[in-house]
Amino acid sequence: MQATFKVSRYDPEAGGKPTLQPYTLELPEDATVLDGLFKIREELDGSLAFRASCNRGFCGECTLRISRGGRLACMTRVATARTKDGEVTVEPIRYVRVLKDLVCDMDRSLWQKIKAVEPWLQPAARPPEREYIVADAQLRPVRNAMKCYHCGLCDEGCSVIPFDNTFLGPAALTKAYRFLADPRDGARAHRLRGLGEPRGMWDCVHCYEADEHCPRGIDPTHRILDLREMAIGMGIKSGATNPQVARHYESFAASVKKSGWLDEGRLALETWGVRRIFGLLPVAWRALQRGKLPIPYRHPKRAGAERIGRIFEKVERRKP
Amino acid sequence: MRVAFYPGCVSRGGCPELYPSAVKVAAQLGLELEELTDVGCNGAGVLSREVSDPINARTFAKAEQRGLSTVMTICSTCTGVMGQASIRLREDPQYRERLNREFLADEGLEYRGTVTVKHLLWIIHEDYGLERLKTAVSRPLRGLKVSPFYGCYIRRPDAIIEGKPQRKQYLERVIEAVGAEVVDFGGKGRCCGFPILAANETNSMAMVAAHTGEAKGKGADCMVTPCPLCHLNLDGGQPRAEAQKGEPIDLPILHLPQLIGLSLGFNPDELHLKRHIVRPRTVEEKVQLLT
Repeated sequence: MQATFKVSRYDPEAGGKPTLQPYTLELPEDATVLDGLFKIREELDGSLAFRASCNRGFCGECTLRISRGGRLACMTRVATARTKDGEVTVEPIRYVRVLKDLVCDMDRSLWQKIKAVEPWLQPAARPPEREYIVADAQLRPVRNAMKCYHCGLCDEGCSVIPFDNTFLGPAALTKAYRFLADPRDGARAHRLRGLGEPRGMWDCVHCYEADEHCPRGIDPTHRILDLREMAIGMGIKSGATNPQVARHYESFAASVKKSGWLDEGRLALETWGVRRIFGLLPVAWRALQRGKLPIPYRHPKRAGAERIGRIFEKVERRKP
Repeated sequence: MRVAFYPGCVSRGGCPELYPSAVKVAAQLGLELEELTDVGCNGAGVLSREVSDPINARTFAKAEQRGLSTVMTICSTCTGVMGQASIRLREDPQYRERLNREFLADEGLEYRGTVTVKHLLWIIHEDYGLERLKTAVSRPLRGLKVSPFYGCYIRRPDAIIEGKPQRKQYLERVIEAVGAEVVDFGGKGRCCGFPILAANETNSMAMVAAHTGEAKGKGADCMVTPCPLCHLNLDGGQPRAEAQKGEPIDLPILHLPQLIGLSLGFNPDELHLKRHIVRPRTVEEKVQLLT
């Protein structure tokens, strides 16, 4: 088949902005986008720079933005990657500095974030003389998270990173989960306190984009939610500098426990405090005029509220 | 069609215009709603699953008790949280049994795993029928340009759409069915920013500004959403998003039942459009011209 690739070209030494360069090439029907890139480099333009290694979806090196979606080039067939115009656009992933053409500076983004979560085992006591003995079931979630090969596709699809690239992002948070779920690790409270600070796990919008983008089936969003549950379970409901996150959780839970449903007025007041609410007066006044501002604490119990309260009590009793 | 109705907290709290609009539209369409009044908040993705799963199992058991197999929501977040819980409870009988034993048995309740959670949007397509909706439309909203905005949890994770990728096009099909024009834009399936309003207001407002600004820039008169939490941020947060961005946006946000209601002949006041923070003047004017 004949295919037209539009490939992003950028040469830092020449400066300027990246441009899409078209290449028309003949490829077998089942060719992948990576096959096409190799063919361009070998036959049409030896100056094209891109990363690739295993060529079978095993290493995560050839992460690219293909026809405006984050994908692995070696696992994407040309036939399915064509846009409406019949072309395949190939660009570097977003939110990462481009070094040349399709090669990104992963060290300055993904790897810095992964290093920030202390990606090494921190045992509480001296390691045993011989090997650690861990039950298979205990290690299963760890092994799942260990499947991550740091391709960066979850960060590429993340809802927060386009707005704030200081957010740790799903890849680094999944790496943190890998150690927090490990029964051999002894730094759980330390890790969760760190991850609870701004730019960490509470800044995730849990939109599940990461789960859709992960080629390894790790479901990073679910792992971030697991981290939050661990933190809540250990009473670490925020970092030291974002106490409103803990207040939000406490108020939400207290309201549902008491009346069966959410007292939104109370939630806003207890999360933000009177001073912040005062700062929002112009909008709050408009909301009040339009009957959209629920009055805090004027919140009748729902039928069945006692039953809901009892569910909370049972869960709380179960905790050590 | 008779369904159990789970209106959620926000449809009568921060978005009190949603509940009456949904009830009116359902009645006009002939959907029979049996409201579940003695059930709890589903947790909204805030409460941990160890608390919210038992609460949701109890809700489903209450629907089963009334002989109903569909729980209808009017909120993407309720749909996502309860939908995921219903899948966990359906696919793992041992887990379901444990929750029954630990949390429901003392109330004489048992959840048998038969309930499906569906948003009104899904019910319109999959049970009611889009063609039937078209015939119910008495005032086609000709000339009204509407951008869809879904809310994450009605699209993701993959399990929630239950093998029906067309669910990611349902809003566009409804906009067309009511006679309005779809203004498509890239942000329609992205996050509105509401979940991090407490944790990171700056990022949350940046998301509001980006999505409403993009739709407005493409010529939308308004946006329609099936999620009241998205509405809280996109409508209620819009003045702050404008201030942060330093430029006006002024894009009215309609709830799904309000858009449908306008096409069924309800006037804007009956659907409480005046309650919105961003006044939907353009919408009201265009609808007035149609009547």
